[in-house]
Amino acid sequence: MANGAEIMVQKKDGGEEENMAAWLLGVQTLRIQPYQLPPLGPHDVKVSIKALGICGSDVHHFKTMRCANFIVKKPMVIGHECAGIIEAIGSEVKNLAPGDRVALEPGISCSRCNLCKNGRYNLCREMRFFGSPPTNGSLANKVVHPASLCYKLPENVSLEEGAMCEPLSVGVHACRRAQVGPETTVLILGAGPIGLITLLAARAFGAPRVVMTDVDESRLAIAKSLGADELIQVSTEMKDASEEVVKVQTAMSSGIDVTFDCVGYNKTMATALNATRSGGKVCLIGLALSEMTIPLTPAAAREVDVIGIFRYRNTWPLCLDFLKTGKIDVKPLITHRFKFTQEDVDAAFETSARGGNAIKCMFNL
Amino acid sequence: MGSQGDVRNGEEENMAAWLVAVNTLKIQPFKLPSLGPYDVRVRMKAVGICGSDVHYLKTLRCAHFVVEEPMVIGHECAGIVEEIGSEVTHLVPGDRVALEPGISCWRCSYCKQGSYNLCPEMKFFATPPVHGSLANQVVHPADLCFKLPEDITLEEGAMCEPLSVGVHACRRANVGPETNVLIMGAGPIGLVALLAARAFGAPRVVIVDVDEFRLSVAKDLGASETVKVSTNEEDVAGEVELIKKAMGESVDITLDCAGFNKTMTTALNATRPGGKVCLVGMGHNEMTVPLTPAAAREVDVVGVFRYKNTWPLCIEFLRSGKIDVKPLITHRFGFSQKEVEDAFETSAHGGSAIKVMFNL
Repeated sequence: MANGAEIMVQKKDGGEEENMAAWLLGVQTLRIQPYQLPPLGPHDVKVSIKALGICGSDVHHFKTMRCANFIVKKPMVIGHECAGIIEAIGSEVKNLAPGDRVALEPGISCSRCNLCKNGRYNLCREMRFFGSPPTNGSLANKVVHPASLCYKLPENVSLEEGAMCEPLSVGVHACRRAQVGPETTVLILGAGPIGLITLLAARAFGAPRVVMTDVDESRLAIAKSLGADELIQVSTEMKDASEEVVKVQTAMSSGIDVTFDCVGYNKTMATALNATRSGGKVCLIGLALSEMTIPLTPAAAREVDVIGIFRYRNTWPLCLDFLKTGKIDVKPLITHRFKFTQEDVDAAFETSARGGNAIKCMFNL
Repeated sequence: MGSQGDVRNGEEENMAAWLVAVNTLKIQPFKLPSLGPYDVRVRMKAVGICGSDVHYLKTLRCAHFVVEEPMVIGHECAGIVEEIGSEVTHLVPGDRVALEPGISCWRCSYCKQGSYNLCPEMKFFATPPVHGSLANQVVHPADLCFKLPEDITLEEGAMCEPLSVGVHACRRANVGPETNVLIMGAGPIGLVALLAARAFGAPRVVIVDVDEFRLSVAKDLGASETVKVSTNEEDVAGEVELIKKAMGESVDITLDCAGFNKTMTTALNATRPGGKVCLVGMGHNEMTVPLTPAAAREVDVVGVFRYKNTWPLCIEFLRSGKIDVKPLITHRFGFSQKEVEDAFETSAHGGSAIKVMFNL
């Protein structure tokens, strides 16, 4: 097939559409190939994917064939931040109908273990998550997915915004775990895609003041336009840490209640632990290093707690509400758009990996 | 011979153990401030030695607190009320009381929100520049003196202070009837944490240490299982397995009462997803730990600084017998120059010395 042709509905013998998907075959090797869907279960829906964003973890899988403990051992469909249109519903599905526009929550948990039963399903050890090996992702014409993980989009929320619910959920979950509210001043380290959605979420949760840092001025400018109160440009040098702590504390002007480390390096964690007020919280979202060397003891001795984040739980309804009411506007984060062709898939991943002025790369299928 | 204080001009001279230089304690006169309307004057009867007291003796500092001039040592104490200020209504002379060491400001936002242990203006016995309580008598706010029930001894009263650290840690980590608890370190703090965890209802408590004697004390005090560990960082993975086996079920909460890279690494790796690690022990400032994998399992790290609002609960635990601290008091000394020196040497030695107690 020609590289530039849109991969929509290839007809097989018998007139059935052949479902195509972007498969990760090896390091830096994505190929659009057929993707056979499982049969539709009674509680499933078949969704025609319309919008899909690229995540840093997708890029990481692409570059290294692994991400933390997840290793790509066989070809796997990439992608997980998605929204689409219902095409078919299983026999027991009552609250969705063909034609409905939905945002998809990627992870299917087991519902039987203690973590699931206690509501912390994001930590389920049997989780099957789009694009986390060995589970195929959703950069495809169609997927089959549990109806309970498909959330109907309000009229005024676009499919691209629906796809943005996934990264936005990370920020929402972090704000919940860190208990952000109308009295919590927030410091966000890192103004990349995750730092920026955390900013949006923190504001939606009522944070009265948000200070953000980054090494990159252009990302700080975006943060400013999205509502950050103060921006501080920082360095990558550990020796600058104590000076930067003073700068962020001065910029906040009152104590820093919650710090989100959306980067996850020794320096950012050191800054977070030292800058946060006694009794405050540091929320580690950025998952960079395995082992960190950080001033943990003085922070613990000031009762600064460190809260961990893994994905999200029960966030789609809230995200959709924030988008519907306009409390959050994610559209400025979508900086680059691509079609579902071999050429564009390659270009999209290259653009996303580059970073810089590329915040969210979005496929339109 | 006890230093009860020479009688001068018909008045007793108050004596205290002063930290005057590195490794140098001297019993010398300690002039008390005048009694304010909300104060009481307490005759000290029992004072325990804490690791921080030993640290000050050896180095004249502890974290960022520096001893710049001679300071009376000691803070874990109980005694008998001798005199009460004009506005004191809940205590009378003769009452036996346990003392909470720290006087906070009650004006700042921390104090007003109940986190008075974090008060920046905290005045704490034997944290420089505030004098401690290893003395014949001290003057102290009455609201920080808690009356002991009849059948609780003054030594047990003094033990409320270290016990409070364990109680506060259990509260911050949410220890309860459904939480299996792992404790790193069976020293004085690990052991009070064990007692507190049991009192909070923890169904299973596994405790680890390098020292077999301390593990046997822990077993006597009610640890479900003990695991002997090494100081070798390479042994972490194996020890995590041993710990999980000893617990039988998942580790919900870990209290690191040692505070080393290895113990924190073990704690972070052994605790179940969604669990908590409470860093109680204060070792090095900078720690190298596998924080990210733990954070990515939503294992939270909770810090503790001293305690808040713990004396009533400690006293109730002692009164009801839910906690018995008496086995922790392994060595006793009187209040004389030689005994003060011997006591600190014993405490610093560790090993079979858990809590060293002065009887005045």
